[in-house]
Amino acid sequence: MVKMFLTKSDQKIVKEGLWDSNPITFRVLGICSALAVTVQLKTALVMCAALTFVVAVSNVIISALRDMIPSKIRIIVQLSVISTLVIVADQFLKAYMYDVSKQLSVFVGLIITNCIVMGRAEGYAMANPPWKSFLDGLGNGLGYSCILILVAVAREILGSGTLLGYPVIPQTFYDHGYINCGIMVLAPGAFFFLGIIIWIQRKISGYTEES
Amino acid sequence: MRPESNRYTFMFAFAVCAACSLALSVVSEGLKDKKEANLAFDIKKNILKAVDLTSPLPKNAGPASVLDVYNKKIEEKVIDAKGQISEGKSPDDIQEGEALYPLYVYKENGRIMAYCFPIIGKGLWSTLYGYFALENDAMTVRGITFYKHGETPGLGAEIEKGWFQNNFKGKKIWDTKNITLIPVKVAKGKAKDSVPVDKAPFYVDGISGATMTSKGVTAMIDRWVNVYEPFFETVRGP
Repeated sequence: MVKMFLTKSDQKIVKEGLWDSNPITFRVLGICSALAVTVQLKTALVMCAALTFVVAVSNVIISALRDMIPSKIRIIVQLSVISTLVIVADQFLKAYMYDVSKQLSVFVGLIITNCIVMGRAEGYAMANPPWKSFLDGLGNGLGYSCILILVAVAREILGSGTLLGYPVIPQTFYDHGYINCGIMVLAPGAFFFLGIIIWIQRKISGYTEES
Repeated sequence: MRPESNRYTFMFAFAVCAACSLALSVVSEGLKDKKEANLAFDIKKNILKAVDLTSPLPKNAGPASVLDVYNKKIEEKVIDAKGQISEGKSPDDIQEGEALYPLYVYKENGRIMAYCFPIIGKGLWSTLYGYFALENDAMTVRGITFYKHGETPGLGAEIEKGWFQNNFKGKKIWDTKNITLIPVKVAKGKAKDSVPVDKAPFYVDGISGATMTSKGVTAMIDRWVNVYEPFFETVRGP
């Protein structure tokens, strides 16, 4: 179905962000939020949606303005666009998903300084037309989301024994002495999983830092 | 106009600022009612949490059932600086700067179970907003909650966690031996390591790495317990 809407080169742009140069496993950007919001799957999903929205839409806007933006103030113009979009996303969360927005607290606001968003704006949208930039933003947002969701699923199951708040570890396990793995709730738990995911992804894609 | 000229740069910057401000104002204004309703609901939920209902709300209680419990069990009152109840006033009527204070009375089958009041004060980065509830003896803490703050996640923000708030339950604000007011304080580190045994009922465990937030919590409890003391004096009786 995807093929009906996207040409071959369009698909390549999305795949680039999703797999070949995934912002987290390849560029190792945006790690701070990846650690902070992956204790539960629900917060991770909301964070992924917010980031994908911001990176895709900011790419389109900046790409549309790219020939008009004076190069002297281009970074601050990018930041203004990005922060406006982040605050809009945050306001919608406060209005429609109040509990989640309370849990995410400062981390939605911190999308403003997320290296992925700035990186795509400066590195891609400033040099490419809006449609391509949109796809690039989408690809990178989804690439970030995939990794976050993987980490969040693992951390919530191992750390709290639940998934999206519903218990998944049978009570009999607990009765026989099973204990939730406390370290998964803390930041180191995310580091372990991110490390393993990066290792597997690079093994498959064959990417190495030294050539 | 040359795109790289200073004049163009200034005009472009101005246009970006204007467009961003406009977008933000429209979104903020458009969602205002919804956000305020959320906040009002959250406040009621926090009052119910602070008074520690004898039959706790289910974890995923919907707005309707929370409001229902609130309307049935919480009586909204207003007291003045002398501790007298101002009849016929509700907390919504209080104007800014007026020396009137909201008081929420929790009743179970007509019997008073707890008194709850808002506490507001400075933390490290932000203003902390919460509720503080006393048992019907007006000496023992029944519960505390924080519903709004901007403290560091993992450090100061621990004030919103269960382990910190549950510490307060059963602590005292009134010394029956010496008949004096001693509002409960946040200790530095574990209370049992730093506080003598006879003072233990007046201290809760602190948050390591969040000394300033802990001090803020101590200060705000002290301030607001003193504000409500004239009223609690009448509850305790002579």
